[in-house]
Order: sequence, then C-alpha cells, then structure tokens
Amino acid sequence: MNAETVSRQFWSSFVAGVGRAAGLPSLVLMASLIGVGGLTRDIGYPMFAGVLSTILIWAGPAQVLLFGSIAAGASMPAIAIAVSLSSIRFFPMVVSIVPLLRAPDVGICKLLLGAHFVAVTSWTEGRRLLPGLPVTERFPFFIGFASMVMAAASFATGVGYYLIGALPAALAAALLFTTPMFFTLSLVAGSRTPADWAALILGFSLAPLSTFVVGQDFDLLVVGLIGGSAAYVLHRTLRKS
Amino acid sequence: MLAALEHATGGLWPYLVVVLIGFLPTEIWRVIGVFAGRNLDESSDLMIWVRLVAAALVAGVVAKLLLSPSGALAVVPLWGRVGALAAGGLGYWLMRRSVLGGLVLGEAVLISVGLMYA
Repeated sequence: MNAETVSRQFWSSFVAGVGRAAGLPSLVLMASLIGVGGLTRDIGYPMFAGVLSTILIWAGPAQVLLFGSIAAGASMPAIAIAVSLSSIRFFPMVVSIVPLLRAPDVGICKLLLGAHFVAVTSWTEGRRLLPGLPVTERFPFFIGFASMVMAAASFATGVGYYLIGALPAALAAALLFTTPMFFTLSLVAGSRTPADWAALILGFSLAPLSTFVVGQDFDLLVVGLIGGSAAYVLHRTLRKS
Repeated sequence: MLAALEHATGGLWPYLVVVLIGFLPTEIWRVIGVFAGRNLDESSDLMIWVRLVAAALVAGVVAKLLLSPSGALAVVPLWGRVGALAAGGLGYWLMRRSVLGGLVLGEAVLISVGLMYA
C-alpha cells in the first residue's frame, strides 16, 4: 500500500465517523454545552475561555463544576479536587476503549489523542460502533466522530456566550437553565440502582445544608464525598441482604 | 492571594484557570487510562464508589446553580426554577424517557414563568 492509499483510507473512515456524529449526537452535545457558554459569560470570563474548556476539558459535568463553583465562590484547590473526582470515571472508560482503538499504525501518541476525545457520548457510541469496523478503520472513524461532536459543542459554547447578552431576560434565564436541567435529566437517565438515586437525591439536598455548615469554599467537596459514600453504604447494605 | 494572582496574570487568568483547575485534573485520568493495565474491573467496589461520588457532586452543583443562581437566571423566582425542573423531570417520564423531551418541557415552563417576572 502506498502512502496515498493509506491517506485516502484514513480520510474516508474519518468522514464516515463525522457522518455518524452529525445529527442526534451533535445536537445532544450542543444542548449540554450551550449553557456552559452562558455560565462563562455570567462569571465574567472571556468567550474563548469557555470554548477552550470544551476543547480541553471535554467533560460537561467537569466544566459545570468548574464554572459553577467559581460562580458560587469556592476556593481553587477545592474546585480542582472536585473536578478531578468527577473525572475519575474517564479512567475505566479509557481502559475499556483502548483495545478497540489499538492497531499496527496506532502508537502511544495516537492513543493519547483518542483518549482525550473520550467523553460519555463518544465512549458509548465508540463501544457500540467500533467492534463492527475493520481494525485499521477504527481509529480514524473514532477521531472523525469525536471531532464532529467536539466542533458542534465548541460552536454551541461560543453561541451560548453571546446569546446570554443578546436575549430578552426570560430567554437568557432559559439559556442558563439548560445546564441544571440537562445534567439533572442525564443523571436521572443514568440512574439504575437505588444507590444511584440516593447519590442524586443526597447530592441535591445536601448542597444548601453544606453551604450553611461548611461554607462556600469546600461545600461541594463535602457534598460529593458524604452523599456519594452514603449511597455506596446503601449499595453495600442492599447487596448483603 | 487570589486577587494578586489574577492581577499578576492579567487577562490570561481565565485561561490559566481552565488549564490548571479544569484540564489537568481531568486529563490525568485519561492519560492513566492509556497506560494502565487492560484488566480493570469496571464493576469493582472502588469504581462504584467513584461513580456515586461523581453523581453526588454533579447533583450538588446543579442544586447550587438552581437555588442560588447568579445573573440572568435570578430573574425567575425560586418556585419557578424548581417547578421548571420538576416539569422537565415529569416530561422525561411522560415522553418515554426522552432527555431532549424533558429539556424542552422544562425550558417551556421556565420561560413562561420568566415572562411573568421579567
């Protein structure tokens, strides 16, 4: 195979991935990130800081934690720990998708690039679609898919930033409301066990109490650790009985 | 100290925050995932705990965004914000577990309440 054939194959798989991502996956990502753009504006950050967060962090909940905590006045070390705790899930997600991306021409640098693109949407779709593809087409397909959803999400982040200032008050409020609404629904959609529900309800109800008791610097961290651990105890208790 | 840091970095401060407080704490887990062994049990107790802590964290920040909003969302009174969230949850169930359906209904309620106050 000469270099030109290889390159053509790469791009045809890349474009196939882009095509799979255009439509519902991109729309869902846009709905989740448009509010992050508004949030960026709300805390007085520049538009590109919001877009950069979509490209670099590439994790809606982590971005909401980052900007939402800054809005709530939390301390920077506490925010970094909360963001990192919310992102540990990427570790098992990446571990399980690396074998699917591995190919003779996919070295460590390409794997790191592929891993960066791992987030909920690309991971679920990757695990569903990649096994049906020839090994050599998987990496370009995945990169194409993830680039498309990331481009759509970055665009939505930038649009959200400008919309919040241009819209009438009720619609600007609706734009900021997208974030809590979307992430509540995706938590609800992802809740399967009683422990999942407990984590969701405890996290929600402990938040105001924790702000009052712990103060705004570390309250979220306390909510996550206490609420999550209590839900975990429930999980253990239910499994034993 | 924070104010001094913000001043010293000038307009770059928000980008530094995104990279240092957002990007690095997240990316580290993806990098570890690439180098880690292949046999990692996703259903291990540790991973279940991690998932539950992450869910509680996100639920907590959602509650804070709703209960003490800054800026544009504060136009809508508390009952409107909580009511719209409940309507969105209801819409999700009524429309056969559709996240986009719930989102649209929740937004519709929020805008209606917003129009009465804005």
